Amino acid sequence: MAELWNLIILNPMLNGLIALSSVLGGSFGLAIIALTVIVRLILLPLTLKQLKSTKALQGMQPKIQELQKKYGKNQQKLQQEMMKLYKEVGVNPLGCIWPMLVQFPVWIALYQSIMRALATTPESLLNLFQHLYSWEVVAQAIPLDSHFLWLNLGSPDSTLILAIIVGGSMWVQQKMVTAPSADPRQKSMNSMMLLMMPFMFGLFTLIFPSGLSLFWAVSNVIGIGIQYWITGWGYLRRGTSAQVVTKLGGKGGITKGP
Amino acid sequence: MAVNPSARSQNLSFPADGEWEYLITAPSGGGLSCSQTSASVAIYGTPAVDEALVFIGDYNGKVYALNASARSQNLDFPQMRDNEWFYPKTSEVIGAIVGSPVISEDAIYVTSSNGKVYCLDKHFGDKKWESDVLAKKLWSTPYIEGDKVYISTFDGHLYALSAEDGSITWSFATESKIGFVSSPAVYEGTIFAGSFDGNLYAVEIGESEPLWNFTGGNCFWAAPVVSNSTVYAGCLNGNIYAIDATNGTELWSFDVGSPIVVSPLLVDDSLVVAAESGNVYVINPKTGIGERIRNLGNDNKPTINALVQASPCAQEGIVYIRGQDNCLYALDIEQGRVIWKFPLTTQ
Repeated sequence: MAELWNLIILNPMLNGLIALSSVLGGSFGLAIIALTVIVRLILLPLTLKQLKSTKALQGMQPKIQELQKKYGKNQQKLQQEMMKLYKEVGVNPLGCIWPMLVQFPVWIALYQSIMRALATTPESLLNLFQHLYSWEVVAQAIPLDSHFLWLNLGSPDSTLILAIIVGGSMWVQQKMVTAPSADPRQKSMNSMMLLMMPFMFGLFTLIFPSGLSLFWAVSNVIGIGIQYWITGWGYLRRGTSAQVVTKLGGKGGITKGP
Repeated sequence: MAVNPSARSQNLSFPADGEWEYLITAPSGGGLSCSQTSASVAIYGTPAVDEALVFIGDYNGKVYALNASARSQNLDFPQMRDNEWFYPKTSEVIGAIVGSPVISEDAIYVTSSNGKVYCLDKHFGDKKWESDVLAKKLWSTPYIEGDKVYISTFDGHLYALSAEDGSITWSFATESKIGFVSSPAVYEGTIFAGSFDGNLYAVEIGESEPLWNFTGGNCFWAAPVVSNSTVYAGCLNGNIYAIDATNGTELWSFDVGSPIVVSPLLVDDSLVVAAESGNVYVINPKTGIGERIRNLGNDNKPTINALVQASPCAQEGIVYIRGQDNCLYALDIEQGRVIWKFPLTTQ
């Protein structure tokens, strides 16, 4: 299984990353940025599908809330009615999850590629040779220069700058799609999630090598761009939950732009 | 650790006569940790021994001279009267040291991940000179011959430095800018080193074009060994190649079944080759015909029940190899078997 993973996913990505570094003047930082852009472009159809499903589900929120009020005490009936509603609107509630799940292996491979390519110790450099193609462009780039801007891509960024960029960009991205809720419980949960994930990833940035954090930061910025393209600033610039619910009602969507 | 082969063969309790251990530590902590503690440091290079003194470069970036007598008595380090020292003499460090230190006359030569070569006084640890930055990092072991220090670099250069002052007297760069992965070996005015593209280069010192290059199936990770006009080079494709040093012609090859990451060892009339898998072979260097050394307990298992990533050494016909299981193995190459093993556990 591990060999199949290496053969099909990890090795092509790893060699691609190193070849990119060679093409981009030996800058591994630029190679990470370029590969992140390429991977996000390849996954764009899935990302769009995910965003559209999310958007449709958010548009249905007023109707779902109505159903919850109506059948709140009868869970079985509530489920039946909700499924009926999903069917009517033509939305699969899992539609926004599975594209995300499909992307996970790619993120894992990207993480492994970055870590392997940096090969900061003799044993990791030795291990890297088991995964390299006999391309001259790859041989030319080895060993990679781990310095990029102020970062040592093989070590965590101790300046907090990258942690703020990763956490901040993640907050913006989440804020754009998190629909304000009239339900106090939901509202409190949304607020917590909105802060927790950026905080966690900000913390990870202080622990994991900055090469990976650079990938997160670029990925978030691209995510914000894609999201803006689909929904505009979304909930980042919208008003109260009541206004949002009103606007989303009926047509079932978020309009682009403020 | 210093291990007495005689005591180990008798299975005496450690430390027996002349045996000792000393733990090299460095401050650790930082990151999210508030407190600073000390932790043991990795040592990649092979220690260099000169009578009672043992020279070590660690991954933290310090060079140590340990005296066997002082360490046996477990005295505080450093014992100046026993010529013990560490460099730099302050709490500062040079870059991580991966290559082995090399002794030549009164000097110790080490390479550092800061890209420089350092020449230190053997007796007191004073710096005689440090070279210019030769590469972004230097992991190779220098080769000393006459009054020259030879270095191979990851960015595709071979250098000859003056052993007197560290100045560059000659350099060679690969046309493709592909780096050298192995440490260099020098034989009769020619320098040999393996590169990242799977070639073993032979370059006559003073020339700007390679004499020849030999393509293996993968990288030549470890430094080759040259004797009687023959280059013996282990490749990551699992083959040990014997190559004519004058023209790069393959004389023979021997497949050991797994990558070779340590240099072969010439012991009397035999070539000892350790495969990463743990199998160790004794090969006739003229014919390329060899045999595997048997496992201590089970003939069907590899010679050593662990990966081999450290260079072997030999004394009086016995080859000593450290396995990745942190055990030291003694192999009798005449009998073709492992004679004892000893766990290198620290206090």
